[in-house]
Amino acid sequence: MSRPGFVLEVDDRTPPLLVHNGEGFLLERFPQGTRVVYPPEALPPVRDVDEAIQNALLNPIDSEPLPELLRAGMRLTIAFDDISLPLPPMKKPDIRQRVIEAVLELAAQAGVDDVELISANALHRRLTPNELREIVGERVFRSFFPDGKLYNFDAEDRDNLTHLGQTRHGEDVEISKRAAESDLLVYVNVNLVAMDGGHKSTSIGLASYKSLKHHHNSHTMIHSRSFMDHKASKMHHSAWRMGEVLTSHVKVFQIETTLNNDIFGGPLEFLQKREWEWSIKDQASFLATKRGLDVAPAKLRHKIFTDTRSNYGLTGINAGAIEPVHEKTIEAVHRQHLVEVQGQSDVAIMGVPFVGPYNVNSVMNPILAACMGLGYYFNSYRGNPVVRKDGAVILYHPVDYEFSQLHHPSYVDFFEEVLSESTDPATIEAKFEKQYAEDPWYIHLYRTSYAYHGVHPFYMWYWISHALDHCGDIVWVGANRKTVERMGFRSASTLSDALEMVSHSVGRSPSITYLHNPPHLLADVR
Amino acid sequence: MGTSLVKFGKDTARDVKQVARGWRWGRRPQVPRSAEPYVIPKETTVFPTKWARTPAAIAVRDLIQKGPLNAVLNFEVSPQVSGLDSLLKLDGPAIIVANHSSHLDTPLLLLSLPDAMRRRTAFAAAADYFFDTWWRAAGSAIVFNTFPIERRGGKMSATPGDLLADGWNVVVFPEGTRSPDGWVQRFRMGAAYLAVEHDVPIIPVGIKGSFAAMPRGRGWPIPGRPAVHVRYGDPLRPAAGESARDFAPRIAAAVSALLDEESTTWYESRRRAAIGASPSQTGPEAARWRRVWESTRPMRSTDNRRRAWK
Repeated sequence: MSRPGFVLEVDDRTPPLLVHNGEGFLLERFPQGTRVVYPPEALPPVRDVDEAIQNALLNPIDSEPLPELLRAGMRLTIAFDDISLPLPPMKKPDIRQRVIEAVLELAAQAGVDDVELISANALHRRLTPNELREIVGERVFRSFFPDGKLYNFDAEDRDNLTHLGQTRHGEDVEISKRAAESDLLVYVNVNLVAMDGGHKSTSIGLASYKSLKHHHNSHTMIHSRSFMDHKASKMHHSAWRMGEVLTSHVKVFQIETTLNNDIFGGPLEFLQKREWEWSIKDQASFLATKRGLDVAPAKLRHKIFTDTRSNYGLTGINAGAIEPVHEKTIEAVHRQHLVEVQGQSDVAIMGVPFVGPYNVNSVMNPILAACMGLGYYFNSYRGNPVVRKDGAVILYHPVDYEFSQLHHPSYVDFFEEVLSESTDPATIEAKFEKQYAEDPWYIHLYRTSYAYHGVHPFYMWYWISHALDHCGDIVWVGANRKTVERMGFRSASTLSDALEMVSHSVGRSPSITYLHNPPHLLADVR
Repeated sequence: MGTSLVKFGKDTARDVKQVARGWRWGRRPQVPRSAEPYVIPKETTVFPTKWARTPAAIAVRDLIQKGPLNAVLNFEVSPQVSGLDSLLKLDGPAIIVANHSSHLDTPLLLLSLPDAMRRRTAFAAAADYFFDTWWRAAGSAIVFNTFPIERRGGKMSATPGDLLADGWNVVVFPEGTRSPDGWVQRFRMGAAYLAVEHDVPIIPVGIKGSFAAMPRGRGWPIPGRPAVHVRYGDPLRPAAGESARDFAPRIAAAVSALLDEESTTWYESRRRAAIGASPSQTGPEAARWRRVWESTRPMRSTDNRRRAWK
């Protein structure tokens, strides 16, 4: 039996609470009266995953069963979410592997020869062969990768892109040629949070810069309130319009899966327990882990976190037409993540953890840390932001000056050149975006190495534009002063200092809400 | 190297201290008030206590009780026991029922009993409080001969009946928990039910002064060796055909009369009881502080020994 999420009010009986802090965590004593939003506990998983997959494929929503859509001589393309989902990565076997194997089993029975599998990474970095193998499994990898039939989507391969047309708002829909020209496009999704899935899967995951720039821009992002509510997100509205164009050209069979909140297991289980319920073992695990991490060399600490794999249980799988499938998916995601919160507060506090969508097997650089905190966590709401307009956000993360030259080369330049001139999303968009998006070196690295696209750091900055617009103050606790100053924020040594620093805008005794995630939550702010 | 080791040691000590304080090491853990509705009740596992009633355990307990326990109790408080002659009227096991306002009540009761009876007396103790950890369960079982009883579950543990059948006296605090303000709370039906079911007498006991000496929240009696009174009453037996529901008020009334007697005299209390005018022991209907104020009013010690300093 899993318990629902709830809002704790810190009182004299409350122990110090766990706060994620990059590649580590700490215990913090919050002022009495602080509201702490706890996510629901992990929902019970589906008992028989294979049976659930079969059931979804054979009894789809608003679509013919998958076997009826498969025939010999057809072109079948299977696209799947890339390594940015789920977070942290899933223990083997990945749910995508199990779904893709089931789809391929049916395709084999139908005698389909022309099958290609595409990692829908849009402008994300290419996945290494090992990363692809981890997602699709050994069997699929061995069958398709050597022949070049399992590959990463390349948004800069002009010869392999197809312009399907424009939406009624004049937005270009340009996607993978192979996907556009397939008789059937099967999309295998992992819907970790409410933002994922729906038309976003195909019309963003398989799209080029020409298409993406219509919604990945500061204007759209600032009016996406929030990303976690596709009905109130301008970005999703745009993706939905593009989806209409896409589905009028291509038959899409969408398979969406939802996961539970069983993220931390083994010795890290205490990370998903409510602190006052920590057993002696949990307390000992916390102390051992914290002390161990504090003395571990940075490389070892990084490896420990990078190697973290989550249990996750499948809570649902739906297949068929995109929109009705996504409605079912959102219901399941809300069951797992939604927590009712009464009213906004003056201050929101968030602990930014070690992993975000764009630093899997990599480094969380300052821009990604900002995006994780102010892009993802700040936007983890439905209705209203947790913090009131012109309120303050306090984040925990070391925000070290650390970049991966392999994965994030354009981020370094963005940080040094662009942010030193302006931190205003609209200004940097107008002045710098085109230059970075079309830079041949960045494009070369994106296509041939494992680099994120040159324009990607801009998108990260647009992600936080809503938070920048909404909040009066943003302070990082325990962060590198220089790096946060470059991003236009301030750094405090302790929570008390941070509260002192924001007191000029929220007063001396502000209402405070701490979002206790991960595990993931979605604050339904009434 | 040396400096980093010192730093590691200091940081470790800081972290351990933070966890020790936050999770109240050595004390009972607490749940934030707003989280209480979401706490999953612990699955009750029956802690075996039969071993605590073996001859060896009885011998060890005798040593502990007559030795350190008795010495500490008499050093810290001044127990005044009366009415023990009522126990002579017993011809078999009995259920001893007392009001409960302090952790002192258990040792007070135990050590005021005649030795032979004390050795054959077991205490019903709240399973969720005294039996939540193995070490607390084992400790209370060996020192006080406790056995677990569910106070919230609504059903009686099977053990008290078995103990009575085996000739053990059983102590029950029918209020279920210590009084928050020193006044008597509502008596639950458990003791009456046991007496009716097993046809054993009830020995009512009134304990006065233990709340003032060591109220809830204190881990040790207050300084000054406060006086605490324990008064035993005559055995009560359920009448033929009397139900537990009818018998329970009689038990509560008997305990109230003993507490009244403690404040006045035996005869005055009997006269008041006869006309149904025994003062209520549930305290005045007033603000909590006034109830506490009243229940902690210092009592005159009947110990008239001269002291070196007054």
